[in-house]
Amino acid sequence: MLEEMLAAYPEPQGRFDELFEAPLKPRPHWSRFITELSATSAGGIRERLLAAERRIRDSGVTYNVYADPMGQDRPWDLDVLPLIIAPEEWQELEAGIVQRATLFNRVLGDLYGEQTLLKDGLIPPALIFGQSGFLRPARGMRVPGGVHLHVYAADLARSPDGRWWVMADRTQAPSGAGYALENRLVVSRTFPALYRDLGIQHVARFFAMLRDSLMQFAPKGDGHTLTVLLTPGPYNETYFEHALLARYLGFPLVEGGDLTVREGRVWMKTISGLKRVHAILRRQDDNYCDPVELRADSALGVAGLMDCARRGSVLIANALGSGVLESGALLGFLPKLSQHFLNAPLRLPSIATWWCGEPAAQADALEHVKKLVFKPADPGQQFETIFGQDLDDKGLAALRKKLALHPERFVAQELVRMSQAPVLVKGQSEKITARNIGLRVFAVATPNGYVVMPGGLTRVASSADVRVVSMQRGGGSKDTWVMSSGPVDSAFTLLRNTVTASDLVRVRAGVPSRVIENLFWFGRYEERCDNTARLLRVALNQRLQEADDEENGLEPILALARAFGVLEKDETDPDKALLAASTLETHPFGLPSNLRALERVAFNLRDRMSLDNWRTINGLIKDPVFGRKATLADTLNWLDRNVTSLMTLSGFALDGMTRDDAWLFLSIGRRIERLAFHCLALQVAFSDGADSGLSWLLSLADSTVTYRSRYMARPEWLPVLDLLVLDGANPRSVVFQTTAMAADLAKLELSYGACGSDLLAAEIAALKKLNPARELQPANPNLRASIDGLRSVAFAVSDHLTQRFFNLARTSIWSTLGM
Amino acid sequence: MTQRAAYRVLHETRYTYSDTVTSAHQLAHLRPRGTSWQKVKSHKLTINPKPVEQAPGDDYFGNDVLRFMIDAPHDELVVRAESVVEVEAHAPDSSIASPAWEAGRAAPGEWGPHVDLDVEAYRVASPMAPVLDEALIYGRESFSDGRPWLDAMLDLTRRIQTDFVYDPKATTVTTQVAEIFSLRRGVCQDFAHLMISCLRSLGLPARYVSGYILNRPKPGARRVMGADASHAWVAGHCPAHGWVAFDPTNGKLADIEFITLGWGREFSDVTPLRGVVLGAATQMLAVDVKVQPL
Repeated sequence: MLEEMLAAYPEPQGRFDELFEAPLKPRPHWSRFITELSATSAGGIRERLLAAERRIRDSGVTYNVYADPMGQDRPWDLDVLPLIIAPEEWQELEAGIVQRATLFNRVLGDLYGEQTLLKDGLIPPALIFGQSGFLRPARGMRVPGGVHLHVYAADLARSPDGRWWVMADRTQAPSGAGYALENRLVVSRTFPALYRDLGIQHVARFFAMLRDSLMQFAPKGDGHTLTVLLTPGPYNETYFEHALLARYLGFPLVEGGDLTVREGRVWMKTISGLKRVHAILRRQDDNYCDPVELRADSALGVAGLMDCARRGSVLIANALGSGVLESGALLGFLPKLSQHFLNAPLRLPSIATWWCGEPAAQADALEHVKKLVFKPADPGQQFETIFGQDLDDKGLAALRKKLALHPERFVAQELVRMSQAPVLVKGQSEKITARNIGLRVFAVATPNGYVVMPGGLTRVASSADVRVVSMQRGGGSKDTWVMSSGPVDSAFTLLRNTVTASDLVRVRAGVPSRVIENLFWFGRYEERCDNTARLLRVALNQRLQEADDEENGLEPILALARAFGVLEKDETDPDKALLAASTLETHPFGLPSNLRALERVAFNLRDRMSLDNWRTINGLIKDPVFGRKATLADTLNWLDRNVTSLMTLSGFALDGMTRDDAWLFLSIGRRIERLAFHCLALQVAFSDGADSGLSWLLSLADSTVTYRSRYMARPEWLPVLDLLVLDGANPRSVVFQTTAMAADLAKLELSYGACGSDLLAAEIAALKKLNPARELQPANPNLRASIDGLRSVAFAVSDHLTQRFFNLARTSIWSTLGM
Repeated sequence: MTQRAAYRVLHETRYTYSDTVTSAHQLAHLRPRGTSWQKVKSHKLTINPKPVEQAPGDDYFGNDVLRFMIDAPHDELVVRAESVVEVEAHAPDSSIASPAWEAGRAAPGEWGPHVDLDVEAYRVASPMAPVLDEALIYGRESFSDGRPWLDAMLDLTRRIQTDFVYDPKATTVTTQVAEIFSLRRGVCQDFAHLMISCLRSLGLPARYVSGYILNRPKPGARRVMGADASHAWVAGHCPAHGWVAFDPTNGKLADIEFITLGWGREFSDVTPLRGVVLGAATQMLAVDVKVQPL
C-alpha cells in the first residue's frame, strides 16, 4: 500500500527529504503518520479531502493574488498533509527565534534612539540611511514597554545537511499567522486521531498571548483598553487574514479613515462618538501610516499618528519604522550584533548573505555571480530576484555593470536547495509526491520575553522545480505539526473561555461608523436594485401585452420610469431604452449600475457578511446577461432572477444577521428606499394614471395576488389605495413601511438620542387621519399631501442620519505642501 | 570685526479651499534655526483660524517644528511667521587651503569605527535628490581629479546658474531631478536638488537648506532670484571647512544675506508647511515673503 501510494514520490536529488531518511524508510517522527495514512483507503482519503475543502470554502478563506485572472477571491490552497517536526529539533529552532527577536528589538531601539551601532561603526550608516524603511520621524519615539517588535516572523529553509537557515526576517507587519491558524482548524479535523495521538502542540495560546500582551503593554486611560486591527482594506492580498484575526482576537477591524487623532491621542470613530484607541495591531505598511509626517500621498493613513507614536500615547505593533530590519543587507552583520548586544553567538544562522556595498563583498559577488541570487538591498526598491545561474552572457554583463556602479543597491545570497516534503497529488489524492517547502514561524513579545508559536505556516512551491516559495506566486501551504515532548495542554480552547461584562460593552462600541454607513447603503442599494428590477419587469411586460384599453398602464409606468431616472425624459424609443437599462452598465441609473454599487458596498463589508451574501451578489454580476445586449425574453428572465436573488439577500439580512444597532441601519436604509419609491409610484399614479388601469401599480408593489384574493375584480382606486397606503398588514403599504421605520428609529434613539423619528411622527398622524371612505381618491388633496410629505421625509431621515452618524467617517483627505 | 546683519522676515502662507475644510493637521518648519552664526531674536507664528492644539518640537535633523491641528470648519488658512534674525558672516576661511575634494568622499561601504552621523546622514540618496549617472557626469566636470573642494563647489554652483534658466512655470514641488536635467529650467528648489544629486553621486554629503534671501536691488545689479518667496540652497561638507553653503540659483556662496530656516536631505524634510486637510476638493496657495534689513 505504501509503495503504491509513493510510486510517484521523487528522489530528493541532493535535497533534504522531510519524510524519508532513506528510500521508503520514514524518519521516526513521521512513521506513525505515514503508516496510518497508507492504511487508509483511497476513498477514505478522498472523503477527508472533500471535507477539508468544504471547511475552507465555508470559512471563506481566500488570498488575493494581484495578477491572478481569478481575481479577488482565490480560494486558499492548502495541502492537508502537515509538516511534522520532532520535539528536540523544534526546541533548538524556538531558542534561535527567541534570540533573533530579542536581538532585533534591541537593534530597533538603538536605530531609533541613540544610534550607537552607527556611531561606533558596527553597521555601515549608508546601509541604514539608504533604506526607505528607515523612518526618520520615528527617531526618539517612546514605545510602550520598550517594545518595538511585537510580532516577529522568520522565513526558514532547510539545507541538504538538515540544518535550518533563516532566509528572511519579517519585522514590519508579518502576515501568515492567521492562515496558520486556519490551516490548523482544518487539518486537525481532517486527521483528528493522529493530531491527538501524536501529541501535537496547540497554537491557540499564541494568539491569546498576543491579545493579552498588547493589552498589558498598551498605555491606559479614557475607558476600556481598546485594541484595533488596522488594515489597508479589502483590496489587500491578505485582507481575509486581517478579518479572520480581528474576529479571532476580538479587535475591531479598522481602516485609516476610521481613526482620528485628537489631543495627541488616537480615537476610533463610532456611531456613539469617539472611542480612545490604546493599541493598534497594524497590517498597513508604516510608510503609509501618516500622511502628515510619512508618505504625503497616502490616502490610507491616519493624520497625526506619527506624533501619537512619538508621545507614546498609543501602542503600535509593530512600531513605526520596524520594517527597516527586513533588508537582507543586515543579515551579514547579525553575528557581530548578537555578540555586541547579547554577548552570545547567533543560534539560528541566516543564509549566507552579503551586502554588495562592502567592497570585499562586491568583489566576491562579482566573482561568484553564477552561484548567487541577487536581491534589492532596500526592500522598498522592487525588482525581481535575479538568479545568477539563469543569466546568459548579456544578462551577466548587465548585472556586473550595475554591481560596479551601484553595489550598495544589491545583496547577494547563496542559493539554498530547499528541503522537500510530501504533498497529495492534486486530483489523485491517493498518490503522494513531494514539493519544496519553506517554513514561516512566528514569535510574540510578552512581558516575560518572546514566545514562539509552536507551529507556523509551511509554504509549498507551486511546481516541482521552483526555487522561491511565495503566496504571491501562487504557491500553496500546509499546517505545521510540532510534536511535544511533554503532555499537551489541551484544555486551552481556541475561543475565549470567559466573557466579562466589559467585553460586551466593548463589542457594541467597537463598530466603526464606516461600517455602519456601508450597512445603511447596503440596505438602500439592495432595495434600489429591487425597485429597479421590478419597475423594468412591469414596464417590459406591459409592452408585451396586447393593448387592452382599460388595463393599459403603459403611460404611467413610463412616466414612473422617467421620474425614477431609468428613462431619459425625451426618450423616443422606450423599448430599446428599457432593455438597455436592464442589462447594460452604460446606463447610469440602470439595473447593472445599481448592482455594481451594491457589489462595491458589499465588498467593503466582506468581513461582516456571510459568504452566501457575497455569492448571491456575485451570481448576478457574473450572470451572462449582465453588461450585454439581450433579447426581450432573456431580459425578462434576467429580471426574474434579480427579483429572486434580491429576495434571497433580504432573507439573509432578516434571518441571518444579529439585530444589533448595525442591523437597524441596514433595515432603515432599505425602508427609506422602499418608502420613497413607493410614494413616487403613487404620485405618478395620481397624476398620470388617473384614467389608466391600476394593475401595473399592484404588480409593482408585489400586491397583485393579495388584491385578487380579496376582491376578485379588476383593480379600482379605493381598494387599491386601501391596500397600498393604509393596510397595516401589507408589508409594501405606505403605513407599514412608515411605522416600521419609526420603530427602527425609536430603537436607535434609545442609545443615541434623537435620530429623526420626530420627522416621521407628524406624517404618520396625518396618514392615520385619512378617511378611507372619502379621501382614498387620486385627486384628494389630503392624500396627495400626505404622500408628498412622506416622500420628502424619507429623504430627510437619510440626510439626518448622514449628518448625525456618517459625517465623521467622511475622508476626502488632501495633503498640502506649502512653499 | 565680524560682519553682522539683522533682518525682519515676514512669511505668510494662505490656503484658499474650494469647499469647507472640517479639520486639518499641519506641520510647520517656519522658525529660523539657531546656529553658531545665526541668532533668532524673536519669532511669532500667527495661525488663523486658531488651532485647537499646537505643540512645538524638533525633527530628525534638529530643526524646530510646530505641529498644529485645526478643528473648526474653515475655507481659508493663513499662517503668518514673523521673525527677527541676526546673521554673522560665515563664509569659509580663505586662509585655510582647501584640500582636494576626494578627501571628503566616501563610498557607501567604506566606513570607519568613529562615524560622524551628522555628515553621513546627508551622503545617501533620498527620493528627490537621488544618485544618478547623469548627475555624476554633470558633476564630474567641476570635480576633476585633485581639484580643491571649495573651488570645485563654487564651479558647480556657477555652472548650474549658467546652464539652467530660472523659470517658476516650468516645474512643480514634485519635479524630479532627471526631469530638470532635460528641461534645463526650474526654481531654487530644483537647482538645489540637482546640485545635491551631483554631490551625492560623487560620494559627497550635501544638505538641502530652506530659508530666505535678501533682495537688495542696487542700480545696475543683477536681479536676485528667489527673493519673493521662500528660498532654497545647498550646504556641502568637507573635513577641512565643515559645512559651507552655496546658492546654485544665484551662483555664489550663501553668506550674510541668507537667513536659514532649517535643513534636511531634501525639500520634503523641511517643507515650510505641510499638512493634511479633510473636506476640500481643491485649494489655492499664495505665499508672500518679505525680508527687511534692520
